[in-house]
Amino acid sequence: MPAPITERSSAHRPRAAVPRAPDHTHRGQHPLRLFPAAVHAEWTKLRTLSSTWWLLAAITAATVAAGAAATGALSSEHCPPPGSCDPDQVRTALTGLWIGQAIVAVLGVLMACNEYATGTIHTTLTAIPDRLRVLAAKAVLLAGITTATAVPAVGGSLLAARFILPTRGHKLAHPAISLTDGATARAAIGAVLYLVAIALLSLGLAFLLRDTAGAITTALGLLYVFPLLAGFVNSPTWQDNIRTFGPASAGQSITATHHLDALPIAPWPGLGVLALYAAAALTCGSIALCRRDA
Amino acid sequence: MSTTETTASPHPQPTGYTSPLSRGRDGFRQLLHAEWTKLRTVRRWSLTLLGAVLATILASLLSAQGNQTSGGEDTIAVSADGTTVRDNFRFVHQSLTGDGSVTVRVAGIVPAPGRNADRPPILSPWTKAGLIAKASTVPGTGYAAIMLTPGHGVRFQHDFTGDTAGSSAGTAAPRWLRLTRTGALLTGYESTDGATWHKVGSAKPAGLSDTIEVGMFTTSPEAVTMNRSFSSTEVNGELGMATATFDHYTADGRVTGTLRPDDVRRAASSPNGPFPGMPSNTSTADNGTYTITAAGDIAPLEPDMDPVQQGLRGTMTGLIPLAALGVLFITAEFRRGMILTTFTASPRRGRVLAAKAVVLGAVTFVAGLLAALVSFGITRGILRGNGFKPPMFPEARWSDGSVLRALVGTGVLMALVTVCALAVGTLLRNTAAGIAVVVVVMVLPQILISGLPLGAARFLVQSTPMAGFSIQNTTHRVPQVDNVCLPEEGCYTYGPYAGLGVLAAYTAVLLALAVWQLRRRKV
Amino acid sequence: MDTTIEVSGLHKRFGQTPAVDGLSFTARPGHVTGFVGPNGAGKSTTMRMLVGLDLPDSGHAHIGGRPYRALRTPLYEVGALLDAGAIHPNRRGRDHLLWLAHSHGLSARRVDELLELVGLASAGRRRAGGYSLGMRQRLGIATALLGDPPVLLLDEPVNGLDPEGIRWIRGLLRSLAAEGRTVLISSHLMSELEDSADHLVVVGRGRLVAETGVAELLAAASGNRVAVRTEARVQAIAVLTGEGAAVAATGRDTLTVTDLPAERVIALLTTHTIPFSEVSAHRATLEEAYMELTRDSTEFHAAGDSALAHHPGED
Repeated sequence: MPAPITERSSAHRPRAAVPRAPDHTHRGQHPLRLFPAAVHAEWTKLRTLSSTWWLLAAITAATVAAGAAATGALSSEHCPPPGSCDPDQVRTALTGLWIGQAIVAVLGVLMACNEYATGTIHTTLTAIPDRLRVLAAKAVLLAGITTATAVPAVGGSLLAARFILPTRGHKLAHPAISLTDGATARAAIGAVLYLVAIALLSLGLAFLLRDTAGAITTALGLLYVFPLLAGFVNSPTWQDNIRTFGPASAGQSITATHHLDALPIAPWPGLGVLALYAAAALTCGSIALCRRDA
Repeated sequence: MSTTETTASPHPQPTGYTSPLSRGRDGFRQLLHAEWTKLRTVRRWSLTLLGAVLATILASLLSAQGNQTSGGEDTIAVSADGTTVRDNFRFVHQSLTGDGSVTVRVAGIVPAPGRNADRPPILSPWTKAGLIAKASTVPGTGYAAIMLTPGHGVRFQHDFTGDTAGSSAGTAAPRWLRLTRTGALLTGYESTDGATWHKVGSAKPAGLSDTIEVGMFTTSPEAVTMNRSFSSTEVNGELGMATATFDHYTADGRVTGTLRPDDVRRAASSPNGPFPGMPSNTSTADNGTYTITAAGDIAPLEPDMDPVQQGLRGTMTGLIPLAALGVLFITAEFRRGMILTTFTASPRRGRVLAAKAVVLGAVTFVAGLLAALVSFGITRGILRGNGFKPPMFPEARWSDGSVLRALVGTGVLMALVTVCALAVGTLLRNTAAGIAVVVVVMVLPQILISGLPLGAARFLVQSTPMAGFSIQNTTHRVPQVDNVCLPEEGCYTYGPYAGLGVLAAYTAVLLALAVWQLRRRKV
Repeated sequence: MDTTIEVSGLHKRFGQTPAVDGLSFTARPGHVTGFVGPNGAGKSTTMRMLVGLDLPDSGHAHIGGRPYRALRTPLYEVGALLDAGAIHPNRRGRDHLLWLAHSHGLSARRVDELLELVGLASAGRRRAGGYSLGMRQRLGIATALLGDPPVLLLDEPVNGLDPEGIRWIRGLLRSLAAEGRTVLISSHLMSELEDSADHLVVVGRGRLVAETGVAELLAAASGNRVAVRTEARVQAIAVLTGEGAAVAATGRDTLTVTDLPAERVIALLTTHTIPFSEVSAHRATLEEAYMELTRDSTEFHAAGDSALAHHPGED
């Protein structure tokens, strides 16, 4: 345990107690670009925790695996009249979103709640007193890494389906899944945006509730309770209402490529409902962050 | 207790300090008490429990509110033992007093052309044609029948629920059938040639007087087809009108009256009955051939929904906060380093976890039972108002064995899931991951199964912890009725206890793993 | 640039409990200002308001005339150590400093310099979860010094340090102040500040008890008391009281003389040939001075304390 500053050396004034910061230029003519610096700090925070990498790997792996399993379970045995069996292969291939979203929610919640749980939030807010900047930096970075994870997750799911479908009978294999198809491309891009929106929703809830368990339970409740209830009621009006206003079921209408008229809410408006949830959560989160004592 | 030891010691050597506090035994009861104190002194945990109860009740309420039925068919009858039944068939009969027997040859069963002319007519596997002896032509009265079915061979059935298989399917018409009455006992026989007879079964139907109605009958339930596409399942009940041809009808004994055709169906049956515009008919040829066309069924009526189960649907929502509670009950200790205190106080870690499991299980059982009782009490009235009422949906009473099983079972189910969460929390040592895993495993299958092919859906329902939900099922299903059994609607292909057993097995394995890992790892 | 810490009329309550109740004080550049008071006196709350974590109900806590939240690059202006334990246990110590550095565009080289300075050069590569309390304190001090700020706010920096570490931090603090920085350190133990602080802000129950220089405080607490050890107690009392001093017999052969300097006492005793074995000026410790101060100034202690103090038989 070296103690470099001894009683004696401090008695001699000339030696500086703290080495001068070499790049003090930021104070002067080259002003620090505050927002990129905040994002850089958040990125350093995130990448130096090994759990981040496990979570990101889990998002991709779980999404692809569940999608492949759902595609592999497809069969045409229960559609006797030929031609009446018309599954939405793209939507089935993206079934993994239902699992992937839970891990994305964990990622989003932990990004804020980790700091509250360890007290690091105090250090963060001392370094960056502009709280909106902290939240914005986290949101931008979270959106970035979620996109970076969701692209292989969604792409992998679709690719897996492309290889699996021909083994499930030729009726299901045609037309082959291809991103050149407009609806498929929309579903793929939409699925990525869907996961990003869920990450932001969770981040907002985390800042609002600050407590890991509370935030993750609320986020998962929002995502899963609506579809559960929709499955429990038999009245079509109720089902449609629940599916229209639930964040996950509304948002997932973006993955539909067949029978769009049968959807309770059209693809883009559906994603819009989810985006509204995310925006509301982020707004509440930032109000709480700015108004409350840290 | 121990202080007396030190003072009584005759040797003056230092004995070290002995606390005058009476020393509690290092028993499991003390551990339980400690864990109970921990649980009840954290206000947020009590609130979480309350939240779970409220979430259960609220979601149950919503799912009851969102379910409507136009009421059942008005052709429902009630059998002597109170079972709701369908008893609609074409009966060509005469009276028999005392002992006797009737014999007939079923020459063939063919589907009658349906209403939908451009679709090929479908014959239900449970189309019934044969001989029946019945107390009267009033629906619901006791009977015994020997019959030929296209899908399930020769059967001897009585009083709706009794069903004995004769020779197997595939041996189709023609087939000889005989029904003999000796006292109260009715016995069914079958034969391929009219000479060699094999007994199929016998029974003493309820409520037969000395004079009964015997004769030929035909009936045919809907042929259920299902189109399971990927976001919805379409179930079609194709009209199951069938025509059976009989010949060589003979009756022995004190038979009175000539054979006359009748439709057995509820007297109040309106012209807009189950199969409007499809009158059954009978034609008789000179050579003693009877052709009987009819639709209907003689079988227990299975409602396509279980109102008791429907009224407890909120359980799954209530499990979400309980999962959080179970995980937190251990991870909170890990995170705040309190586990050091806990393990210093009681170094036997397995027992600590066991104590946690017992306390948590007991508390959540009570909460779950409470939630189930309130949910059932509230939703009963709502569901009745939404059309789930007798006779189609028999009144569910608190005292019914199956209702009690569902209510108490809900408490057990919630306790088991919370203990599972505790074990998962111990294994993962991470609050967020633990909660997410438990919620996803418990809830996601229920969401996904409606979009999965039936086989995959059944597999999920039977082999994941959500199998435990089968305990909430109160309907009794009989094999001789073809019904659409969709797992997402709460239909299980096995009994209520088997499913709870699956969940209990998961809980036991997870707890064992957790104890093993807790012993192995440093704190 | 002005680097004075100025707290004025600060109020903060949590629910019904006032944590800080009208506190005002100033900490100037070039001084180590000690911020003392018992646990729960509102020190940490004041510190948190100084760095903008909590907002005051009324009054203000400014640094250089501005609220902390107005600072664009605060690490260059104020270094704060609030809770040394606030590190993610799975993050390496060096990485903890690194993200802070990145928030201000500082390089990894700067991080390594500071790790060297606080003596964590090798430990910085390990996960912070395994750090001792002392190592966490050192890391916390490194975070405070990262931007080489002219103002330092350290909440209980000595907590958990070993004797060598305590010696190190005292020297560090003094040399930081000697460079003209404003240093505010809080502590609930006056003795910790004895060798490092030169200015004191004493608080109790959220209120200012005293704001004073360490030297003045010690002088005031010591009074002009001189202890005399002599066999000839009676003669000594007569001689000394004759010169106008107040003399109290404190033992069989000891006296305490007030209002007479030690030199004069020696002179008088020698002149009157009164034998004595010891004459010493009484020098109070900072701890004693503090106890004295809080006893006199905090009325609300009186009820509880006097009940104990006036125990029968003690007078």
